[in-house]
Amino acid sequence: MYNDKNSKKIVETIQNWARSHSIWVLAYGTGCGAIEISPTMTSRYDAERLGFRGAATPRQADVMLITGYLTVKTVKRVVRVYEQMQSPKYVVGFGSCTINGGMYYDSYNTINLLDRYLPVDVYINGCMPRPEAVLAGLSKLQQIIREGNANGAEKYLENLAWYKENQRKIAPNWIAKAPDLNW
Amino acid sequence: MIAQIKAVFPEAVNKDYDGNRLDLTVNKEAVPSVLLYLKDSMGFRHLSHIAYVDWIEQGEFELVYILWSPLDKVKLYVHTRINRENPVIENIDMIWRQANTYEREIREMLGIEFTGLVAPDEFILEDWDDIPPFRKDFDTLEYVNRTFWHRPGREDAQDVRSTISERSGEEIPDFAKKYSR
Repeated sequence: MYNDKNSKKIVETIQNWARSHSIWVLAYGTGCGAIEISPTMTSRYDAERLGFRGAATPRQADVMLITGYLTVKTVKRVVRVYEQMQSPKYVVGFGSCTINGGMYYDSYNTINLLDRYLPVDVYINGCMPRPEAVLAGLSKLQQIIREGNANGAEKYLENLAWYKENQRKIAPNWIAKAPDLNW
Repeated sequence: MIAQIKAVFPEAVNKDYDGNRLDLTVNKEAVPSVLLYLKDSMGFRHLSHIAYVDWIEQGEFELVYILWSPLDKVKLYVHTRINRENPVIENIDMIWRQANTYEREIREMLGIEFTGLVAPDEFILEDWDDIPPFRKDFDTLEYVNRTFWHRPGREDAQDVRSTISERSGEEIPDFAKKYSR
């Protein structure tokens, strides 16, 4: 009974609804965006009323917020953290630096396009986005999860070779030594 | 104090930016002995920083050892020039321990070798296989085009600066036109 298509769909709908209302956020505080997380989480904007909550470790988190530019060195750690997270997991790119490099587009050590290295579910535009924008972006993520379209983790697994190739391009020695998805 | 330094090093110039700054240019061979003398006999106990400049037109690197005398409140900038082709200079981290960190940074970012420097190879950069990135002949944008990707859409960015200046009747100086986009 549980294996037939309709029951699966119903179970998934309920699961997605529950997931969308208990989003634990791992704020990966790179760059300047981390400063916008504190007002978002504390009493002024109080993100917890919408179900967003800080998580202590990557293994407990559902969403990784990447708040700003990523250097080549940070990308390695971000990849490692992302692979440590348990499914279901989502990535939110925060600020224009994650979208196209922002003001660091011609820097020798910051990447430009985050979605070449990790599957990004939602981008929040701005430099920096205000807490309202952060909440709007996270609400958009909720909506996507509820619709069942937030499938970044599956995308990462399906296209693992492509993502690994891109990661290897900027970190040839480090990624080669690292195990694949086995942290 | 300034008179005392000028008596020992006649070529020291008081550039007089803020009254207590002296600039001194020495040969690269003389750097360790001069610094040791300044530390032991002149009271320059503190090495604030080692600054570095790439004079690509003259084929030289410049290192500036910034010293501070806490008793006399005098800053001393010891300049030295190194040939760009074979950039080697004596290591001074036995005089000030903190020089080790600065020298590692300079070795990585500018490619200057310090004889006798004992430190791991990598400091800030990891997996770097290009020429040192702070050299002037390192083309950052070319490196970015080769290593990373650009999102389409940047290339049609409008010339904001000239639009604003046209609207307000402001004249842009020639040197600034190069930077406006």
